[in-house]
Amino acid sequence: MLSVKNLHAKVGDKEILRGINLEVRAGEVHAIMGPNGSGKSTFASVLAGNEKFEVTEGTVEFMGKNLLDLSIEERACMGLFLGFQYPVEIPGVTMANFMKMAVNEQRKFRGEEPLTAGEFLRMMRETSAGVELDSKLTSRAVNEGFSGGEKKKNEIFQMAMLDPKLAVLDETDSGLDIDALRIVATGVTKLHTPENATIVITHYQRLLDYIVPDYVHVLYKGQIIYSGDKSLALKLEKEGYDWLINEHKE
Amino acid sequence: MGLLEFFKDKGFNASGDKVTLSDGNVWEVLVDPEVVERTIEGSASLVVLHSAEATKMHFDVCQNSSLKVVELFAGDVASTCDVYQQSDSECDIISVSVAGSAANYTVNLDGCNASNRLRSAYIAGGEERTKVSVRVNHNVSDCTSDSLVKGVAGGKSVGEFYGLVYVAQDAQRTDARQTNRNIEIGKDAKIITKPQLEIYADDVKCSHGATVGQLDGDAVLYMRQRGLSEQQARRLQIEGFVNDIVLSAGEIGECLAGELTTKLESL
Repeated sequence: MLSVKNLHAKVGDKEILRGINLEVRAGEVHAIMGPNGSGKSTFASVLAGNEKFEVTEGTVEFMGKNLLDLSIEERACMGLFLGFQYPVEIPGVTMANFMKMAVNEQRKFRGEEPLTAGEFLRMMRETSAGVELDSKLTSRAVNEGFSGGEKKKNEIFQMAMLDPKLAVLDETDSGLDIDALRIVATGVTKLHTPENATIVITHYQRLLDYIVPDYVHVLYKGQIIYSGDKSLALKLEKEGYDWLINEHKE
Repeated sequence: MGLLEFFKDKGFNASGDKVTLSDGNVWEVLVDPEVVERTIEGSASLVVLHSAEATKMHFDVCQNSSLKVVELFAGDVASTCDVYQQSDSECDIISVSVAGSAANYTVNLDGCNASNRLRSAYIAGGEERTKVSVRVNHNVSDCTSDSLVKGVAGGKSVGEFYGLVYVAQDAQRTDARQTNRNIEIGKDAKIITKPQLEIYADDVKCSHGATVGQLDGDAVLYMRQRGLSEQQARRLQIEGFVNDIVLSAGEIGECLAGELTTKLESL
């Protein structure tokens, strides 16, 4: 589904990604961990197509296409979803209006008819109940005045509405209390099928108690320096990153 | 649906007709009046459509009375609106301009506990010049005023805001807010904003502020990541910015939002 080879990217003159290699197949859950400043969020932004970052080397293939040739919205329409670490507030634009446009744009891209107002409202009602998002929030402006937990739940709600092939969740657990964390993680797990894949970017092992990864990767100075199974996350939680970083230096 | 079509649909025929909306409110609809002079006792709701004539309006809002005014500027015209409010009166003005107009408001709070709320939004494009000026005089104590003007300037247009809150020496416990927020689209559009406070009392709560910004790049990125094109994302953001002003106004607000959207599409 996603094949990243020797990906290098920079912002301004600063190289942040220094040769990432990653293969993600349908049905898999990958966790990317790593110390602050290792390039985790940059990797997510580059996959989404954020123009702030410049790809200088390497290739990314997604669903058989060269991802790097596509615009942000084309990537989204092909089924790439980015759960933002800091969801953006958009005053005056209601969630309902925004999601309706997004859902229908993606349908149009796939050559499907737009949803009618009734179909859309039903879908929105059912989906918001599924991720325990207060249905009142869907009539409010996008993320405006939402609490930290609500913003993150809202990301999962949008993910559920758009039903992506590949979801990249950038620190979805940051700033969440334990209940919100459980709801968000349960939502992600529920949405997981053998046809889609998830990349979870996280700082803490905590989230991985709920979202069980098939692979855990450690990103350090812009490279994946170690990959393992879910037990790696537990070891990192106990022992930190130093042993890996030392091993890497040797 | 535009505002005039909306009222025609509800039975409006000629300037001065009264139309009852589904919320039970009776609105008097005026089209291009030259002069409007009213003394309000009880409550009154007015819709004024400006498209071809300069208009001069004068309202005396008596004690315990309330006035609602909705204005749409659909032509390159000028208007002045002077409001005099007695004690415990309320006045609520919503004003939308889509056609390079000049609107000049002077509010006089002459009786205690009077409150005034003004919401104005405009979109200017091409070579239009749209001007909104608001002067609120707090002449006595314990009054409230809240003015919010939002402007969008695209093309080679110019948007201007002049605001003044005047608080007289005896007008203690005044609560006054004045805000002007603007978005400039492109490098040829220009916003001029001049918010001012003139305060002679010492026990007051006054705030004023003005911002001129571009579109929020992060919000555009966020919307594109969900599948909207860059153009859709920009338009939705501007729509959201101005619609904020009108959406509290029920059915009429929806029409005004429609007027703003149509204008936005023409930019």
